[in-house]
Amino acid sequence: MAALNDRALRGLVQSDRVHRDFYTNPEVFELEMERIFGRAWLIVGHASQVPEPGDFVTTTLSRHPVIMSRHTDGRIHVMFNRCAHRGAQVCTEPRGNARRFECPYHGWVYETDGRHAGAPYPKRYADGFLKGGEFDLAKVPRMAVYRGFVFGCLSADGPGLDEFLGPMKSHIDAMVDRAPDGEVEASAGTFRYRFGANWKIQMENQNDLYHPMFTHASTTARDGTQFRRLGAEDDEAGRVRLLKANEALNEQWEELAIGGHRYGHTWMEMFPMDKAQSGPVHEQYRAAMEASYGDRAAAAMAVKHHNSIFYPQWSIQYLTQHIRVMNPVSVDCTENVIIPLKLKGAPEEMWRAALRSNNNSHSPSGMVMSDDMEVWVRCQRGLASPGREWAVFARGMNEERIDNLGSFEGLGTSEANARHQHTAWLDYMCGGA
Amino acid sequence: MRAEIEKFLYREARLLDERRFEDWMNLFAEDGWYWVPAAPDQKDPYDGVSIFFDDRRIMKTRLERLDHPRIHSQKPASRTMHALSNIEIDEDYGEDGEILVRSNLTMFEFRLDKQTVYGGRCRHLLRIGQGGGLEIAWKRVDLINCDGAFETLSVPF
Repeated sequence: MAALNDRALRGLVQSDRVHRDFYTNPEVFELEMERIFGRAWLIVGHASQVPEPGDFVTTTLSRHPVIMSRHTDGRIHVMFNRCAHRGAQVCTEPRGNARRFECPYHGWVYETDGRHAGAPYPKRYADGFLKGGEFDLAKVPRMAVYRGFVFGCLSADGPGLDEFLGPMKSHIDAMVDRAPDGEVEASAGTFRYRFGANWKIQMENQNDLYHPMFTHASTTARDGTQFRRLGAEDDEAGRVRLLKANEALNEQWEELAIGGHRYGHTWMEMFPMDKAQSGPVHEQYRAAMEASYGDRAAAAMAVKHHNSIFYPQWSIQYLTQHIRVMNPVSVDCTENVIIPLKLKGAPEEMWRAALRSNNNSHSPSGMVMSDDMEVWVRCQRGLASPGREWAVFARGMNEERIDNLGSFEGLGTSEANARHQHTAWLDYMCGGA
Repeated sequence: MRAEIEKFLYREARLLDERRFEDWMNLFAEDGWYWVPAAPDQKDPYDGVSIFFDDRRIMKTRLERLDHPRIHSQKPASRTMHALSNIEIDEDYGEDGEILVRSNLTMFEFRLDKQTVYGGRCRHLLRIGQGGGLEIAWKRVDLINCDGAFETLSVPF
């Protein structure tokens, strides 16, 4: 294709379809890293991953290795994992506790807030050369924390986190407020997987209500209920009605609300359960919630959404209680990290059921996730071939109600959420969002 | 005893490779479980998430899915080769009649023109079942890449 000027980029996205280069062109991908992942607020992790002073995790932020650490003063820092001297990564452990970070190359050392703490045998440097903070670990230009979730932004300019999240803050609140203590904890480890598909294919899939009965046909019993997603126990909370009987009965999905907000964020309503939650564990949870929230307990306990996507890089899945961080690796490769969230103050039995639910549905062997990944990879392979130039997103076209603040609402099985992401993509790529 | 245990474990490996998943499940005791932790040295399956943590009921759901005509991630089906080695038998483990068997597992998986190799350490707790033969009280597989990034996994280790 021709040089990637604005006109060429705009040519990739039409109102009801996107060109296959959108997913397969490495130059488009590099521009996305600069203009989308280089500007948006990205999730780094959760404060509970580094509970004590000196605790750190290493991760990547838009392909760049970073360290999230908690300093002795209790504050969290997000720094590039790169020695100020000759550039080596100073830390390669996935997590741990450090008094200082020491570069393996020449032994330069850094405090856990990134401050340069000295270089061995400094006499051969000019007087004062090492002073003044020039050789600290570089900070990610901006970082901010919202309800324990730690965010970084690779650009010093642009909207603040508050503006970027906008109405999506309530979607974070909805997860955190389900904890009787008003806090969630990321203390159960992670799942990681890597698949051969462009990052946007997964983005478009997560709010797609058109696919479950086909992609996930193998997890659905004849009576239309899926296997117990909340663990194997008879916990009364489990079975999710995914479809009534067969593909002719699509109505349930079509009644579900979907929608989105500015900057490409989208959400979809929780799908119906075949019975209300009840039983002694649930009553214990309700009592804990009422003790914390009083009259607001029922509202705080409600699972209103199935999942919410924070474009371009992470999502919350509410029933299974996890976040999914989606890190692009290359134009045709994406790496996911699933981080389960414990509701602090909730009964231990609930947490055990949530862990088992995550194991069954979202581990690398997960019965839901494995078919999703298979389909994304097949999309990437198909889109690489020239037989047709476009992927089509015309379902439910123009049905959505749009307000003048960049938000919209629609109904399930429409492809409106993917179209909303495509509009945001154009804003980032051509408009300088 | 060693010969009988080896025969039992080799048969288990063969049942998986022949995709006789129901026969494989029936090697487990009614209260048996199969566990593949997602972190090294995990002490308890409820300390964190697991790649597999299946009791008989979840196992049955999973294995029925493997036979489902629309399991896309197994179209085409994986071909696997489970190889066991370094078998060490501890007959004095735990309660009477229970035997802990440690082994090293290599599993090759071939699907869609790609071959993947997995390596891990297995522990089987075996006991004599009601029918007089061996059964699996639990099986734990610690993959050396348990906290690495995986592609789709469908067939048990």
